Amino acid sequence: MSVRFREAWSEFWVSGVSKLGVAFLIALSAISIYVLVSYPLDFGLRRWNNPPIWSDNPKAVPPAWTTSFGGESVVEHTTFLATEPTNVTESAKSRTLTYEFSIDYGYDGFPSFTSLSVTNATFHTRAPQFTLFFERPDNATLKLLREVAPAKRSEEEPPVTRWTEPPRRVYLSGDDRVASAIQSFLSRDFELKVSRDLIMRVHPELPLFGVPKQENETLSWEVLKGTYHIRVEAELFDSRDTVGEIKYVLGGGVFGMMGTDSLGRDLAVGLIFGFPVALFIGFVTSTLTTVIGAAGGVASGYLGGKVDLIIQRAADLVYNVPLLPILIFFTFAVGRGLWVIVVILVAFGWPGLAIIVRSMVLQVRESQFIEAARSLGASRRWIMFRHVFPQVAPYVFSQLIFYTPSAILSEAALSFLGLGDPSIPTWGQILQLGFQSGGVYVGWWWWIVPPGLLIVVTAVTFVFLALGMEPVVNPRLRRMR
Amino acid sequence: MGIARTLTIRAVTLIAVLILVLFMVVTVLGATGLSDKLLGAIVNERVRAERQSLAQSIRDPDELNRVMEARELELTKLYGLDLPWYLRLPQMAYRVLILDLGNARSLKSFKGSRVIADIVLERLPNTLLLMTSAIAISAVLGLVVGVKIGTNPGTRKDRALSYFSAISFALPTWWTGILLILTCAFWFQMTFGFKLFPPGGMYSTPPPADPWVAALDVVYHAALPVLTLVVALVGSYTYTARTIVLNVAQEDFVTVARAKGVPEKLVERRYIMRVAAPPILTNIIIGLAGSIGGAILTEAVFNWPGMGTLYYQAILQLDEAVIIALTYIFTLVYVAGRFILEVLYIALDPRVRY
Amino acid sequence: MSILQVEDLKLHYQTLRGTVRAVEDVRFTIEKGETLGLVGESGCGKTSTVIAVTRVLPKNIEALEGKVLLMGEDISKLPDEKFRKEVRWKKISMVFQGAMNSLNPVIKVGDQVAEPILLHEQSTKSEARERVLDLLEIIGLPKEFYSRYAHELSGGMKQRIIIAMALILNPSLVILDEPTSALDVSIQAQIMNLLKSLKRKLGISMIFITHDIALASDLSDKFAVMYAGNIVEVGTAEQVLTKALHPYTQLLLASTPRLRRDVVPSYIPGSPPDLVAPPTGCRFHPRCPKAFDRCSSEVPADFEPEPGHRVRCWLYGG
Repeated sequence: MSVRFREAWSEFWVSGVSKLGVAFLIALSAISIYVLVSYPLDFGLRRWNNPPIWSDNPKAVPPAWTTSFGGESVVEHTTFLATEPTNVTESAKSRTLTYEFSIDYGYDGFPSFTSLSVTNATFHTRAPQFTLFFERPDNATLKLLREVAPAKRSEEEPPVTRWTEPPRRVYLSGDDRVASAIQSFLSRDFELKVSRDLIMRVHPELPLFGVPKQENETLSWEVLKGTYHIRVEAELFDSRDTVGEIKYVLGGGVFGMMGTDSLGRDLAVGLIFGFPVALFIGFVTSTLTTVIGAAGGVASGYLGGKVDLIIQRAADLVYNVPLLPILIFFTFAVGRGLWVIVVILVAFGWPGLAIIVRSMVLQVRESQFIEAARSLGASRRWIMFRHVFPQVAPYVFSQLIFYTPSAILSEAALSFLGLGDPSIPTWGQILQLGFQSGGVYVGWWWWIVPPGLLIVVTAVTFVFLALGMEPVVNPRLRRMR
Repeated sequence: MGIARTLTIRAVTLIAVLILVLFMVVTVLGATGLSDKLLGAIVNERVRAERQSLAQSIRDPDELNRVMEARELELTKLYGLDLPWYLRLPQMAYRVLILDLGNARSLKSFKGSRVIADIVLERLPNTLLLMTSAIAISAVLGLVVGVKIGTNPGTRKDRALSYFSAISFALPTWWTGILLILTCAFWFQMTFGFKLFPPGGMYSTPPPADPWVAALDVVYHAALPVLTLVVALVGSYTYTARTIVLNVAQEDFVTVARAKGVPEKLVERRYIMRVAAPPILTNIIIGLAGSIGGAILTEAVFNWPGMGTLYYQAILQLDEAVIIALTYIFTLVYVAGRFILEVLYIALDPRVRY
Repeated sequence: MSILQVEDLKLHYQTLRGTVRAVEDVRFTIEKGETLGLVGESGCGKTSTVIAVTRVLPKNIEALEGKVLLMGEDISKLPDEKFRKEVRWKKISMVFQGAMNSLNPVIKVGDQVAEPILLHEQSTKSEARERVLDLLEIIGLPKEFYSRYAHELSGGMKQRIIIAMALILNPSLVILDEPTSALDVSIQAQIMNLLKSLKRKLGISMIFITHDIALASDLSDKFAVMYAGNIVEVGTAEQVLTKALHPYTQLLLASTPRLRRDVVPSYIPGSPPDLVAPPTGCRFHPRCPKAFDRCSSEVPADFEPEPGHRVRCWLYGG
């Protein structure tokens, strides 16, 4: 037995296809193990599908490395954090903590958005007040907004902490107060009368980080480069009051290794999580299918009679059912879930293998060594396991490898149609959102291409392995020596 | 005599499959409560319609209500809603069979009808058009290229084919379609200012008046979807063709043919291709289910007005009745397609005629 | 003029292990109406010899040399296309080893027999069909077999069809490579009778290849004994069977069981040589009971102790 294995291995290892396949498989497994070790298992529900976590990422932007190809310099996504104020001033009734950020703005483009977040405002008597100042390189300063923490309610005991989970986040690019401030600023400093609606539509970043240019009837904005200062003044009314963290986000035009989707989710994270999921689906489905199919085929072929008839008829019927419509129907009717998909794939996948294994077993059954075993008094089960099965084992094994990419592709197809398991980010699902949000038509290639590519690479790995197994299984295909 | 018997057996098996699927569908429908929902919706629809028309003749609101209640009871009995779902199975199966499923929730047919049968049936030809052209093109390509390579095994082209087939098999159909849109429509537009191929749909709006131009217009729109499907199918067809041809070319009768002085081209046609055709056809038959899946996905990506896109929309809009109808019709298409192909197989291979 | 005259025929195959010298220095002649029995162990080069003559060659040929005169014309020099049109099947036809698979499974057998007519001669389909039906009658098969397919025929019937196929163009020479080895004995007898009656009625010249000398003796006028790629002895049936000269032939005859004699058949010790590196000198010398030192150093020449009876052995000359 071991000689045959070694022989099979050397036959397998000959072609370049097998070597590639094994190399890819090792890589895939390594990545998957890494993911399983470093990410929590409920990643899907708790983090991926949890929009607030991703709110401060730019939406639908390409990966950061695309800027190295030259062209217009795109704004880098920058997050400014401060837990300690740069300045503290005391007055009779209050203490003002000033948090200051400076931005060296040398980009050719405008930020995609800006936001301000405050975490953990703790107070004892009167709620703190936060004011946001925006100082431009041309020395104009705008008071963008003033925000007060919700006051202490009668039933609450001091100290009261507000804005812990979730923090108070102001999306400056959609805030009315900011728009008003900009409106006054424009009419004051540039004698430009612009409606608030226009500002909101055009995106407040343009007037904030730029200078208006009036050409004939059209209004355009030119970037104002230089050093900007963002100042947050927190006015606290008790000596024991504290502020946790101030965060100012300058929304970039690029983000991360693989960019973001339309919800701002870091695609690199989502994509990497897809590795173990894909391998899991592939292996579980193909193992179950192969086990049931092989068992059915061997039993049917060897035992004959009624068992054969039943299994054959069942296989024949099930085999003839078109898979995707049935999959669609079941996931729709029963519910979307990983196990529904696996069960259906296995239930409709085993006949293919069973039918072929059965015909192989029929041939093996008549051979001499089986007859010898029978005459020695071996039980039927013994013969099936120890003598019949090893004959069909190479083929079964190669089919195991072959079913894996089918399962992965089926799940991806289902996810693409919107019937995947919503609690787990799979590559198909990422693509589904990409397609539905029209990303294909506006050219969001970083969202569209990588997930598909990963699916292809994973599937190809197994196909290569299966191709490599072919000469082992079909002697006629062995390299012409 | 032998042929008729073989065909009958195949036909019976395939009809059994259809019935199996029908029963599976209606059982799941019943068990999940969807059939109640469905039938309930149909009953409500009818009640509403009848109420409206009766309101013309019966002025007294109380009397109207009484009549309508009685009517509702009648209809409930008619549709079997007073019975538990497992007793309704045959009736439900029959209903699906003839597509008597009422109206779609919100989807409409091209002419505005909301009757499900109308919606589904008018899209059937579009799907068939896409599927058959893609399968035919892939099969021919697969056979021709497979034969060329199968008769010259071990060369670089042979190895290249292995890689290509592996990739073609691994490429998700829908992703290929998306990529094609991205390049031929979007990127082309960006770089060259025009779209090489339209990103979707079956006709331009408005469709051209001249029938020939209109036909060409359809072909133009069909180019990318068909290409997508072909890319998905051709890899496996070619590889199997090559493998089968390889086996056949090593058979004794091929050597005998050459010894008989049969010119090489004729040996290829009559002794290799002709003999390899039945198993290759078997492979196409086996791949038919996958081709249907591929067609559904391709339609969804390209917004091709066929049953696939309808599936996609119905899923998005949670329209169960349409989904049921489509599952059934697709199975029907599959069964019919298989039958046709199996007839073809019997014509090609005398060995299976008993 | 002889039907076939073969001189200095050489065929070498290219394999991963090296060059296989399958046929070396082969010489024989066949007269009209004669049947040559080409006998020897499996792997001695019998099939290779005939495929060298008929040029039904696999892809890994390293060398093919020699003169092949078919009715005086050297066909070994003919370009492939001419060979195909003029010689193939019209002048030389073949019945291959392993008849079970020699027929195309999806075409009617009658059409396959008719195919050479349509390929090589100007004939209409119905004329060709008529000729095939006539031939079927001679072969002893019912006319309705024309429309049958290969899988509907038994082994013996298939073999008859294949023989018919070989005869359809009235070739000058028919080569039969182990035509009966896949059949059981009763069918074997039928086929041999058929061949004998065809020989009588049609006067065809044949090469009959087999490892079974007894079988060959039923049909052959002449015998050529091959060993390890060489023809070691050639002569009439009587000469070879009763007055065998070469030690190998003698041992071969001695190993044939005799029905009416109370002799235990012997065997030849050892096994055939590896044709990649054959023994020096006479290829049989390692197993030859009569070998002496010249045998291992020099390749024996062809001697003719009796007219018509040639032998390659140092015992008879030099």
